[in-house]
Amino acid sequence: MEWYFWVAITSLGICFAGYIYHFLKLINLGSPKDYSKKSGSTKSGIIYSFTHAMNPVNKESAFLNLPTYISGVIYHLGTFLAIILFFVLFFTTNINELISLLLAAFLLLSTLCGAGMLIKRITDKKLRHLSNPDDYISNILVTLFHLGSGTVLFIPDVYPVYMVIASLLLLYIPLGKLKHVIYFFAARYHIGYFYGWRSVWPTAKSK
Amino acid sequence: MVKINEDIIKAGLEVLNSHKDSKLITHLNSCVHCGLCAKTCLYYLTSNDKRFIPARKVELVSAIYRRYFTFIGKTMPGLTNARKLDDDIIAEMIDLLYGACVMCGRCVKHCSIGVDIEYVVRKGREMLAKMGYVPESLQSTVKAALETGNNMAISYEDFTDTIEWMEEELQDDCDDPDARIPLNEHGKNVLYTLNPREPKFFPLSISAMAKIFYAAKESWTLSTYMYDVTNYAYFSSHPAEAKTIAQRIYDETDKLKAKRLVLAECGHGVRANRWEAPNYIEKEFPFDVITSVEIIAEYIKEGRIKPNKEIITEKTTLHDPCNLVRNAGVIDDQRYILKNCVKDFVEMVPYGTDNFCCGGGGGQLTMSEYNDRRLSIAEIKAEQIRKTGASIVVSPCHNCIDQLSQINVTYKLNVKIKTLAEIVADTLLVENMLNNNK
Ligand code: SF4
Ligand code: SF4
Repeated sequence: MEWYFWVAITSLGICFAGYIYHFLKLINLGSPKDYSKKSGSTKSGIIYSFTHAMNPVNKESAFLNLPTYISGVIYHLGTFLAIILFFVLFFTTNINELISLLLAAFLLLSTLCGAGMLIKRITDKKLRHLSNPDDYISNILVTLFHLGSGTVLFIPDVYPVYMVIASLLLLYIPLGKLKHVIYFFAARYHIGYFYGWRSVWPTAKSK
Repeated sequence: MVKINEDIIKAGLEVLNSHKDSKLITHLNSCVHCGLCAKTCLYYLTSNDKRFIPARKVELVSAIYRRYFTFIGKTMPGLTNARKLDDDIIAEMIDLLYGACVMCGRCVKHCSIGVDIEYVVRKGREMLAKMGYVPESLQSTVKAALETGNNMAISYEDFTDTIEWMEEELQDDCDDPDARIPLNEHGKNVLYTLNPREPKFFPLSISAMAKIFYAAKESWTLSTYMYDVTNYAYFSSHPAEAKTIAQRIYDETDKLKAKRLVLAECGHGVRANRWEAPNYIEKEFPFDVITSVEIIAEYIKEGRIKPNKEIITEKTTLHDPCNLVRNAGVIDDQRYILKNCVKDFVEMVPYGTDNFCCGGGGGQLTMSEYNDRRLSIAEIKAEQIRKTGASIVVSPCHNCIDQLSQINVTYKLNVKIKTLAEIVADTLLVENMLNNNK
């Protein structure tokens, strides 16, 4: 096996260990103990939190910022796709040409979305004020990963570079903001639990 | 401001290090700095000031967390902008967490991730409270409650005089010399509470609620020892002080052996007593805790009171107290009541769980140093009211009523501001009540 495979496998192991650490920490600490008398259903609240509450129609952060929201959705879909492709490419580089073309087109689009979000972070005063180096590094690494994933499908020579980018990303994931891969689910669980307990969610007739 | 020292730092960090569950670390680790919450916050919307973006308030607390409790924050603080707990950040925290957040939770519902921003703000306030940095104006309100049993330091004599006066009002209003406002009676169905603003400034809302109880033939009482529904230590976020206040109301309900503790029209009072108090004192309550809004709706549904909706014909709108709606789940009952009590009810836009705070939440009404900010963020509410074309604005919260009254003057709205109980009481006809009470 080539050296870059070993680097990628080691990085994957470290990333996985980091995730397990965060995950176990969350599981260990558990759900809040609430002494108040529950008036709703935490289960329904949590389900609502992951479904209806995520509907862009119900979220000002989405419908008031539609272009950013859509870019974000494409970007995240691109990331999932790139991760799946990363595992597939471990075993075979022999992917059907049409599929490769479609994948590369989508990854190019998600790369552009990532680049657009980076430009926005740099140029928008409000966003710049909120940002720290981690925000830029995370964006650059993920965007490069998209670009690398799309490129490697047609230019196999970039394979070592692609693997190095993937390894850097894997090593970085558990450290900075990219760990929201786990914390996103925990956050939605907690607000679903909170609003469900108090029967705020699922939303009743009133908006 | 007292200069920070090691003991103060220790007290502040203790808040971030004492995990009862995974909620705190979750919300401290979740924000992705997308900035999409900016336009959900009335502070940002009315000022365009980037410091007021909700995520910026979260960042103040999470930056300290990262600095002291994460590997990257300890070893490479610059990478994630992890910050030391020092005088500079404390000044910023006081200004933004106490002075620029009404703890309405509007941003929470709309955050793209689901960060409980308001909860993190409360944790930040808790840090400040433990370090001794609660703004004096807010702390003096908490102190009054701790020392006198009510946040306005109303004396026992003044309180009982007011109640006697309101009892006479009730008797006149109901045309029944036997109508009463019972005090300190044991074994009643309901122990009713008050916002101290009522005996101090708006006593007629006491007789209004008494009239509703009278009409519903409720078995109820008030306590002269502990009637204060508010808990300003919830706003200062000092858990021990909040616990002391919560414990008193629990003890009084227990002592009087009331079956139901009914919380007066007070948004944060509802939240503090119905939802937070059992957690402050770490005990499940053996009695029911419900809001006056819910009990009035119950009376109408059960036919125990019969409002006449022909009396109030003016266009009426409703302001939703954030703590009652978004943070306590009482959403439909106030609408049900108004639809049964007024002829022309109109909603503000947005309303319900999407409502905007009036600007008086989060303890802002007590912190006079932020008065200008408080009134400038109220521009949103003023516009919402204006757009409804209503001439009556109802709100089931005395703090909101206070702020709405100031908005009414500042923004020249020329509307009447009423509590829900006042509206309901105005629609109860004496003939019906007399028949009911025979
Ligand atoms: S919307 Fe949520 S995740 Fe985005 S910046 Fe605001 S608090 Fe952070
Ligand atoms: S809780 Fe309300 S006031 Fe505070 S940051 Fe969120 S939207 Fe703004």
